[in-house]
Amino acid sequence: MTRHLESPRLGRRQLLKLGIGAGAAGLVPLTGLAANTVTTQARIVILGGGAAGMAMANRLAMRLSGARITVVEPRELHHYQPGWTLVAAGVWQPDRTLRANADFMPRGIDWIRQPAVGVDAELRRVSLADGSVAEYDFLVVATGLQLNYHLIDGMSPELIGRHGIGSVYTSLEAATRTRDAIDTWLGQGGGQGLFTAAPTPVKCAGAPLKMAFTTLSRIKDTGRRDAFNLDYLTPGTALFSQPWINDFLKQRFDDEGIRRRHYYRLSAIDPGAKQAEFTFIGPASEFTSHHELRQEEFGREGEMTEVMDYDFIHVVPPMSAPDFIRESDLIARLGPFRGEWLDTDIHTLQHNHYPEVFGIGDVIGAPINKTAASVKAQAPVVEANLVAQLQGQALPARHNGYTSCPLITDIGKAMLVEFGYDNDMAFLPSFSFIDPKEESWAAWVLKDYLLQPAYYAMLEGRV
Amino acid sequence: MQFSLAGILAVLSHAVPPFLPLILAILALLVVAQLVGRLRGYRFTDYHCRPAAIIALLAGVSTLWWLPRLTGSQLAFVATATDWAALVAAALGVALLTWLVLHPLSYLVRGPRRP
Repeated sequence: MTRHLESPRLGRRQLLKLGIGAGAAGLVPLTGLAANTVTTQARIVILGGGAAGMAMANRLAMRLSGARITVVEPRELHHYQPGWTLVAAGVWQPDRTLRANADFMPRGIDWIRQPAVGVDAELRRVSLADGSVAEYDFLVVATGLQLNYHLIDGMSPELIGRHGIGSVYTSLEAATRTRDAIDTWLGQGGGQGLFTAAPTPVKCAGAPLKMAFTTLSRIKDTGRRDAFNLDYLTPGTALFSQPWINDFLKQRFDDEGIRRRHYYRLSAIDPGAKQAEFTFIGPASEFTSHHELRQEEFGREGEMTEVMDYDFIHVVPPMSAPDFIRESDLIARLGPFRGEWLDTDIHTLQHNHYPEVFGIGDVIGAPINKTAASVKAQAPVVEANLVAQLQGQALPARHNGYTSCPLITDIGKAMLVEFGYDNDMAFLPSFSFIDPKEESWAAWVLKDYLLQPAYYAMLEGRV
Repeated sequence: MQFSLAGILAVLSHAVPPFLPLILAILALLVVAQLVGRLRGYRFTDYHCRPAAIIALLAGVSTLWWLPRLTGSQLAFVATATDWAALVAAALGVALLTWLVLHPLSYLVRGPRRP
């Protein structure tokens, strides 16, 4: 079964003609592009209806007249994932992070409620789980990423919430069970906590740190701080990508008595014995929090390992693009993201080999940027550049790598850390009155009350 | 990352609704107190009530304690100039609102008095 058979597949020359109705010519500033509606009959498929996919669906639906836009998204519920750390910290009730996808899906688009299972970039076809295909003239890859718990021997998502295992990344249910596991540990009155970081790029790279800080905050509230030991084990030298914040965090961990252990990768877990095995990677590997470890590099022979007992462990799994993207022609073949992430230009967000393909969100190969805040910055860039590509124009917009981490350093205060990958991860503060180097109540209130509304406005393409 | 005016309004369209019942209740209380008081001859320039002013002051000062707690935080975490500006502004707002409600109410209870 093929979807959109009524529409002939367009060649590159025909694609150029699609933009004739736009009335725009040459290099148009981003703001100018945003003001114009473009008439086109192009078929646009958006893979994924998460933060990135939904924002693009709304933006393109508003921007393009006559386009046939399809969103491939099997889930009916939309999860506000940035709230999961607050759920796991016991600050938010779980249902506060849930909305219906239908609340945000724009009118006039085709919503395919099933998963994509393959992409043929040469034929411009997306394969769907029911065996049908969706053909496209332009493709926006916004699939999000895949959690590879299977790369940790003995670990599976089903274990979260049992045997002292927590992991905030998997799902709302897992975040809730992580909260329960922390409650259980606190109820024991003491013991060993292990907080891990992943040997791959991860979404919300601040989440492992937030889990350590919020748990420490709750430990302090018990009045038995000395009875709890906290270790933070990370594969690299850094705790955070932004250099100033990295130094700050290292000092804070030392001040708070959280033992930092660098070059350790969680390689196996024995839930019954409450033991975790870490592989010592060694300083020669020069890992950072967003280093380049790929699956084939896991489990090398002869590596030194260390087994540690725990009463609670927060597991951060290795992550990658979804398997069906990794198995497609769209995956990076060279460079640091080869074999694992979508091959996009990190500034234009256009695919490096297929100009009709754009990437946005967690799936792209970029040194940082796997946050909802990044999507907010990326969405207008993808919109402008896709429309320009549709019109045969030079791509006018450039993403500076903006990302934001409302870094919770205690329950009740946070740092609004905004930066980009240009200029050595320079700060890019949105508000002149909030210093990214300061912990503040205002940043906490922003995180607790205002960032979720901003996220929903972003989904609607309104910010 | 900058927000346009339209963007700010879009964010507020999601941020305000959960608090709308509370906002409307407070506004209703204010309007009813002022309206009923004025219908009974209340004029805030002609009526003085020290207890209302003291309670309003206490309400404002207490805001410094309860507002951070209401947001899941604590006064000790109010640290930056922005934090204090926001908290003091909120305290002033609570004090003013309390006074604007209590002042006409006290007039209704105590009746007209000479300054």
